[in-house]
Amino acid sequence: MVEDDATIADFVSKGLAEAGHAVDVATDGEKGVALALKGGYDAAIVDVMLPRLDGLALIDRIRARGIHTPVLILSARRTVDDRVKGLQAGGDDYLTKPFAFAELLARLQALIRRSTGQTEPTRLSLGNLSLDLLSRGAERDGKPIDLRPREYTLLEYLLRNQGRVLTKTMILSHVWGYNFDPGTNVVDVLVSRLREKIDRDFEPKLLHTVRGVGYVLKAG
Amino acid sequence: MDEREPDSRSRPQNGLLDERRHTSANEEPIARIGLRLAAWYAIVFVITSLAIVLLTYRLLAASLEERDQQLVISTLREYSQRYAEGGLRALADAVEIEQRSGRQERMFVRVVRGPSETLLLSAPYAWNDFDVSRLRGRGELEELLSESGTARLEVASARLPDGTLLQVGKSSENREALLARYRTVLAIISLVIVFVALAGGAIVTRSTLQPIRQLITAVRGIVRTGRIDARVPVRADRDAIDELSALFNEMLDRITTLIRGMEHALDNVAHDLRTPMTRLRGVAERALQSDDEQAQREALVTSLEESERILAMLDTLMDISEAETGTMRLDVTAVPVAALVREVVELYEDIAEDKHIHVSTDVETDLTVPADAKRLRQALANLVDNAIKYTPSGGRVEIRARRDGTVVRLDVTDTGIGIEPHDLPHVWERLYRGDQSRAERGLGLGLSLVRAIAIAHGGTVDVSAEPGRGSTFTVRLPADRQIASITRM
Repeated sequence: MVEDDATIADFVSKGLAEAGHAVDVATDGEKGVALALKGGYDAAIVDVMLPRLDGLALIDRIRARGIHTPVLILSARRTVDDRVKGLQAGGDDYLTKPFAFAELLARLQALIRRSTGQTEPTRLSLGNLSLDLLSRGAERDGKPIDLRPREYTLLEYLLRNQGRVLTKTMILSHVWGYNFDPGTNVVDVLVSRLREKIDRDFEPKLLHTVRGVGYVLKAG
Repeated sequence: MDEREPDSRSRPQNGLLDERRHTSANEEPIARIGLRLAAWYAIVFVITSLAIVLLTYRLLAASLEERDQQLVISTLREYSQRYAEGGLRALADAVEIEQRSGRQERMFVRVVRGPSETLLLSAPYAWNDFDVSRLRGRGELEELLSESGTARLEVASARLPDGTLLQVGKSSENREALLARYRTVLAIISLVIVFVALAGGAIVTRSTLQPIRQLITAVRGIVRTGRIDARVPVRADRDAIDELSALFNEMLDRITTLIRGMEHALDNVAHDLRTPMTRLRGVAERALQSDDEQAQREALVTSLEESERILAMLDTLMDISEAETGTMRLDVTAVPVAALVREVVELYEDIAEDKHIHVSTDVETDLTVPADAKRLRQALANLVDNAIKYTPSGGRVEIRARRDGTVVRLDVTDTGIGIEPHDLPHVWERLYRGDQSRAERGLGLGLSLVRAIAIAHGGTVDVSAEPGRGSTFTVRLPADRQIASITRM
């Protein structure tokens, strides 16, 4: 992680360590390059605004040295500039500050998954809840559950990220493709509908609300 | 963060340096242009005039020479005639009569027999300067340079029937004297021409550059004092420079609007964020004073939610300010309205169903509008969100879209609580909430954003409502606007 703000670097690296990742932190662009050149990283988190060498220049430099570690770019700008969008097209991803740690973790793991080329499963499951990605059928305890298209999308998203908290923003942009707060919380409504279908008649409850952050699908 | 600061601070310093450099070299560029203009003017003027003078001189010289030569030849013919009629005697008489009459300037006449026997020689005394023996006597016209080299003798020769050679000549002296006088006059004229060229160049340059100089002075004044309300004077001539001045003023107007808008927006943002920040602070402070772990957890959750709200608010306020100051970046395409409406309805489908509100749409087929799809969706979503929020269970929300003359008109009608007449003019204001709306969750920015987006697209918004019966919100966007022209700045 290349980040000059000590507090952010600290909470991110602690959080990532808890999620089972080992993190090295560099506080400026030059140190970031040096770290990247050592190699052996699954992914890099790079702030755009860095002392001595900015994040985008850092990425250019390590790419020129043949290092293709996927990069998660952090930007404090509200509007994402075209450069960053270009990098996103090249397989990297970006996140605007302030961000929820849950989202950072999810994006980072998606990046790592993509770059290591993990094979797509055809079936996702948690406990006795399972989702067939081919027939698009869901069942719990052997009983089929009838899902509407958006409920299916949400459940698939939750199952792929099981154990991880998904924020309302993440769900909104994943399920509807929206990137703004539409006011009334449509996410709450969709989640409670899904909960009705997969949890009401079953034990243990799987879909949990993490107050102030979002939702998580986990056993117990 | 700290290490980055010097960078951002050094930028304005560079700006200052730049400005200082410009002002120290202020008069130089325009003076250099002026000099160049004047020099070119003078050079062109002088060359053209001198070419004319030279040509005149050449023409004059040539025609004088031709006249002299014709005179020499005609005299030669006449004397040959005389010789043929009356021999050498008659010729001598004719020469004498001619010269005595003083009618013409004296001419050189010589009659030679054999190789060197001169029978007759009539020449002005001054012509002794010429070594006539050098005349070869062949050909129609030959020239003989005087020994002092100041004049030429032009001589025509004719072989008479008895074998003697008759030569008639004329000195170019008189002609040269005339031309010399003419040259003096021309030299004086040339001097006048050079003077006129230089003076004219200076005057023309001055008068051409004067408005530019004024423009520079005015602009520099504005840059130095930072008084963006000052304007460059525009004369009534409407030439290119006036056009430049007018454009410059227009640009200043634009900048002024932007700066005013941004100042205003910044004030608003600062003001609007103070309330939620105060809440956030209060929650944290209370939690610190409490020993109850449960209460502290609760406070953390509230803080998190509050920070989300602040962020959402900041984003919305920025959107509104950008739209109001005209700096909102719009990615304008022909947006199919039916698809857009369907998307928004889908977003609220579940909520409407839960609240037992019937949402219906009535969209003209194949209707498109030049707009930024995301922004328009955001605006429509806010209107639908509002409609559903303030409509009681069992009510109806209808979205209508159609072309109405030169505009595309979107109406969102609900059968909700309506709006009190005294609230009606204020619904578009930021953070304004009518008494009835206070109970609902929201930022109080939704309608302001709708209005801002409509304005950014060059459109308008409208509302009509009746308390207890419902409201209709209308957005009108220009239907035919050139797509490229909207992406301003």
